[in-house]
Amino acid sequence: MVTAMAKKTSTPVIELKGLTKHYGMGDATHHALNGVDLSIEKGEFITIMGPSGCGKTTLLNILGLLDHSNDGEYFLDGKSIERLSSAHHARIRSQQIGFVFQSFNLINRLNVIENVALPLTYNGMFRTKRLKQASEVLKNFHLSEREYYMPWQLSGGQMQRVAIARALVSNPSIILADEPTGNLDSKSSHVIMEELSDIHKRGNTIIMVTHNPDLTTYASRVIHMLDGKIASDTKIPITLEKSVTKIPLSMHHTEEKPPKKPAKKRKAKAKKK
Amino acid sequence: MRLFLLEHIQNAYHSLRNTRTRTILTTLGVAIGVASITTVLSLSGGIGQVISGQVDALGGNIAVVRPGVQAKNFDSLTNPTTEQTYTTSTVTENDLIDIQEIDGVEAAAPIMIINGSVKDSDTTANESTIVATTPELADITKLPIRDGQFIDSVTNRDTAVIGSKLSVDLFGTDQSIGQTFKVRGQSFTVIGVLKHMNDPINFNSVDFDRAALISLESGKSFHEGIAQIQQIDVRAKNASDLPAIMKKVNDRLLKNHQNEKDFTILSGSDIAQPTSRFFFAITSVMTIIAAISLLVGGIGIMNIMLVGVAERTREIGLRKAVGASNRNIILQFLTEALIISLLGGFIGYIGGYGLAFIISTFLTFTPAFSWQVAVAAFVTSLFVGVLFGIYPALRAARKDPIESLRHYH
Repeated sequence: MVTAMAKKTSTPVIELKGLTKHYGMGDATHHALNGVDLSIEKGEFITIMGPSGCGKTTLLNILGLLDHSNDGEYFLDGKSIERLSSAHHARIRSQQIGFVFQSFNLINRLNVIENVALPLTYNGMFRTKRLKQASEVLKNFHLSEREYYMPWQLSGGQMQRVAIARALVSNPSIILADEPTGNLDSKSSHVIMEELSDIHKRGNTIIMVTHNPDLTTYASRVIHMLDGKIASDTKIPITLEKSVTKIPLSMHHTEEKPPKKPAKKRKAKAKKK
Repeated sequence: MRLFLLEHIQNAYHSLRNTRTRTILTTLGVAIGVASITTVLSLSGGIGQVISGQVDALGGNIAVVRPGVQAKNFDSLTNPTTEQTYTTSTVTENDLIDIQEIDGVEAAAPIMIINGSVKDSDTTANESTIVATTPELADITKLPIRDGQFIDSVTNRDTAVIGSKLSVDLFGTDQSIGQTFKVRGQSFTVIGVLKHMNDPINFNSVDFDRAALISLESGKSFHEGIAQIQQIDVRAKNASDLPAIMKKVNDRLLKNHQNEKDFTILSGSDIAQPTSRFFFAITSVMTIIAAISLLVGGIGIMNIMLVGVAERTREIGLRKAVGASNRNIILQFLTEALIISLLGGFIGYIGGYGLAFIISTFLTFTPAFSWQVAVAAFVTSLFVGVLFGIYPALRAARKDPIESLRHYH
């Protein structure tokens, strides 16, 4: 068992004991997860690496309560979640977990602010309050002037930033990101990673699955998986200086101007109508 | 409830507006079904209202005595012999005289319908009814005289009062006093013309606009001196005494008929029974046909909802990932189905009444407004929405979030 217990006094946010997940039966049984033990502390930025089919996405789905394990135990904030009802799982998803997907998954018929406000709907929050809160989050992502754009009017990087804003809007304790930069070019990827490490610095726990070894530089802990098992677990001491070597966040936003133009034209056209 | 209904309605409105054309078409499917039900129910309700309205307008103190026992059973509709249209009446002139003598009875009048045609020298009025009665009828059923007078005890036996339409049919004019017509070779002189009334549906089952009223004496002469009474109208002095009087009439007639219950005494809305029963059957059949069209509309809802669920698989997956419970998803899609069906129901209700009013311009009565029709329209559309919306909603809720998120268009 490989654990990195930084603060032994506090209960880990996530604790997995012998988690197993398999598909199929008999000879055809495929073990996506084969006894995973893992303990994640509050405020960690974890990247999970590994080849295709090693079970990293399955692990992320189980952590996000979208999937169930066949065996083993999962403690979230010290509480076992195995015996909870699906409605209870949904409540945990809406309050404690934020998802960021590779393909953004914005709802096309809703505008940016409504997309961001969507998770708050399931917290029983009223529309005005929801939009207000979403607007505040978007401000942090320098997307205030994009609030009433439709998703198809945004560039890929902007869409992913909207998606991250959506994941953050209900103040979850854990952000789960499945290849958040997989559909983006390298420049947008770095913007997204800067955003994520920014969120991390504010004290959020982030668990990210990625194929790209470059991105591990942002993480505080790197987990390698192989054949449904954790192969290595390395904790990287946080060096604040590291971020200085990268392009500052503000510059990214100015550089990202070009894709805005067609969007603005569209909006102007819509106004003329 | 963590998620308010209002949210679902806003949400459903949003997504329905996005697929405007097919929403409108599906709504139309339900609207047509509800419209046909509303039309049928409001028109049939109108008929019932006409008759009970007449009874009420006459003071609510009318009872009628009819020969034979009226079958209460719905099955008897298919068995015409129990209707006794062609049988010899069991109610006699003696009964009439006895009823007139009962305390509290203000007046009683017989209605004896005679088979025969009304003829001028060269024209025959079709669709006319010959009614032999006594002067009291004018009083009891408030028959308005336009010209001349009603038959009374001192008028000649071979005089008659005719309805305005019959007058026009026979003589080409409604100024027909003094003219003569023949019934089975016997001639009658017109001494009065009734006002045009235009209510062929009434508790006497006689269209007075097309009727020739002759005295009971003349009527009996067509029937070898014996009265063939189809109905006796009884009018009480006070409406409150009516039940007691009906009891007395019943006792008296039982005595006359050797304790054999071969007559029926009716009051209030029961008087409309034979007509209502007949229309009840028609209404039932037509409502069933209308319900089938509603079923088709419902299948349309299910179809469109299933398309919507399939199209929005990713949205469902995402909503689940950000915290929607299965119940949230069910309610989201069920609300959409209900909005379609209730909107269809509302449009159908309005449209159905519109149609009923258009149809009623060709009829002699207006459709009835009653809360029952509104409730029927609401409940059926609600039922259709839930029935055909629940399956797509359940299907949406059962979707696996991981599979759904992987789903590409």
